[in-house]
Amino acid sequence: MWVGVWALLGLLLGVILGLYVPLFFPVAYAKYLSVAVLAALDSVFGGIRAAMEDTFDLAVFISGFFSNALLAAGLAFVGERLGIDLYLAAVVAFGVRLFQNLAIIRRRLLKK
Amino acid sequence: MKKYTFFFIFLVALIIGLMVTFQFRAVNKAAQGVPASRDQELTIEYRRLETEKANLQREINDLNSKLAQANKGQKEALSALEGELDSAKVAAGLVKITGPGIEITLNNPQASAEVERAPTLFTLRDEDLLRVINELRIAGAEALSINGQRIVATSEIRYAAPFINVNLTRIVPPYYILAIGDPEQLRAAMDISGGVVEYLRELGAAVDIQTSENLTIPAYKGSQP
Repeated sequence: MWVGVWALLGLLLGVILGLYVPLFFPVAYAKYLSVAVLAALDSVFGGIRAAMEDTFDLAVFISGFFSNALLAAGLAFVGERLGIDLYLAAVVAFGVRLFQNLAIIRRRLLKK
Repeated sequence: MKKYTFFFIFLVALIIGLMVTFQFRAVNKAAQGVPASRDQELTIEYRRLETEKANLQREINDLNSKLAQANKGQKEALSALEGELDSAKVAAGLVKITGPGIEITLNNPQASAEVERAPTLFTLRDEDLLRVINELRIAGAEALSINGQRIVATSEIRYAAPFINVNLTRIVPPYYILAIGDPEQLRAAMDISGGVVEYLRELGAAVDIQTSENLTIPAYKGSQP
């Protein structure tokens, strides 16, 4: 339960910081960031699912979180350079996994 | 390990919050701001306008130099015309002229002890003046005047008894004839034996010829035809 509190606290602080830091993210990179956000969300849901299955491993979670986000942003970047909308691949892949994870979490919650 | 878990969960949550809000702000800003493609378009447009401006600047310089040349040409043409006008005015006798020449003084015969001749027997007439002027002209006189009346193309020398009119102005003896030209040549033309001066002297007229290096002949004063 404490984990959830910490997570909420971090989220709140991040939002506040993000809203009030006088730093502007260049508009040209918004696409990459959006895919990275999607990947990060997927990692979070994966982490929640793992925690529910009692197979949560911090190292896996952290490495997955960062590598997924970086890979997604990198794909978007390369796709932009090559003229292929590669970020769509990231969006589809992570979107599908997101819903899968969500479905598993839902079933677990309902089974309880 | 448990403590680290809390910390990392906190960190991950923080990063997600940051990313989401950054993205939110970026999208919001993009909606208000200039899209990337528009940015490129404007850059291309700007470059195009820059080259166009450079071209127009070149054209301005070109036209300016052409204008300067045209002005210079106009100035030259103007000065040429002015020179022509000046020489025409000199030829027409409309300007005062100064130069070397001779001065001839003609007077009617004077009664004296040696020459017993009535003063009225011979007086200088218009023909005499005309002959003198004619001789001076053929000797190369550039400008002539009689008693301050400039002799121009339309000048008359006419007997209007008992006076002589020049330029419709009455003149009286003694007659001062000024001629600008080569003084030696003019003098030679006057002194030639059997010439007009000898003839007038024989008739008893007083003729005096002076060469001068600096004569001034006035401009024609009458109205221009």
